[in-house]
Amino acid sequence: MWLPFMGLVIGVIIGLLTDIRIPEEYSNYLSIAILAALDTMFGGIRAQLQNIYDEKVFVSGFFFNILLAASLAFLGVHLGVDLYLAAVFAFGVRLFQNIAVIRRILLAKWSSNGEK
Amino acid sequence: MRSQKNFYFALTAAIIGFMVAIQFRTVSEPVVRDTRDTWELREDLMAEKEIQSQLLLEIRSNEEKLTKYKNERQQSKAMVLKDTLSELKSEAGLTKVSGPGVILTLYPIGEELGAEVPVSYVSPSLLKRLLNELNLNGAIHAAVDGQRVINTTVIRDINKETKINGRSLKRFPLEIKVIAASAQDAEKLYNRMQASQVIEDFFIDNLQVSIKKPQTDIEIPAYEDTVRIRFMEPVETAKGGG
Repeated sequence: MWLPFMGLVIGVIIGLLTDIRIPEEYSNYLSIAILAALDTMFGGIRAQLQNIYDEKVFVSGFFFNILLAASLAFLGVHLGVDLYLAAVFAFGVRLFQNIAVIRRILLAKWSSNGEK
Repeated sequence: MRSQKNFYFALTAAIIGFMVAIQFRTVSEPVVRDTRDTWELREDLMAEKEIQSQLLLEIRSNEEKLTKYKNERQQSKAMVLKDTLSELKSEAGLTKVSGPGVILTLYPIGEELGAEVPVSYVSPSLLKRLLNELNLNGAIHAAVDGQRVINTTVIRDINKETKINGRSLKRFPLEIKVIAASAQDAEKLYNRMQASQVIEDFFIDNLQVSIKKPQTDIEIPAYEDTVRIRFMEPVETAKGGG
């Protein structure tokens, strides 16, 4: 359980220490990539809790979602339509759903533990 | 199995953390708030004013020095020499000059008569006479086909080619630029040259001379080569200040 947290902390520290700054106009892509990554992450946690976790699905979904989101944003910029909003919407809805499922599963586990 | 799963989760989390950190750095510009109170502000202002007055003092002293140096330079012998040198240079024709004057153009006569008269030659003596006439009528600086005419300029025939300063005069029309002392002098020069005999003489060489109306600003190039003095020597002053 602690290893993912460690990973998160290490990632943040590396990001802050390396002093990388991307140009302002690309921050849109990065933000949507973060959203996609978060979505995949929570999807993975949910799958893990539901015991349907598949490594290949998780890893491929992680990179594929990021690329898809970024390319969607790119396409949107070139078409003049705010297409990244579609990605934001989709990922946002899925994020909430995943978190809701995780919460329910955890609640159910906790209550069943309490009954014991 | 479980450790591998955890490892993947950790890697994903690390990537997310990395991206979040970069995004955070990119988006959030650090906002520095000014939290000084009135007295601190006053003190800072005082300090800055002190620096300002110091800087002003420095500027003043530097300016004083500058004017001192300028005065010294103007009164120095080197400056006088430099002035003289540049004066002499412009007099000798080693500098570019511009001023009011007229432009004369020599072009083959055949063009107007319709006949094909081959012309690639203007006789040096005629050109010399023209220049003499121009000088007589108030020309100060002159250039023939871009070649400055100075005191040591030779116009002569070398292998049936007329050369000025060692450069052939073959291209027609030939342009002669002349500068006079003032606009009035240029006007006078223009009028006199129109009535001049030399203009008629060019007809023998199948050349015609057209004189353009005086212009206010004509530019004449500097003499390109170095002036060689072969038979001149400075006069030796007798010893004892004689």
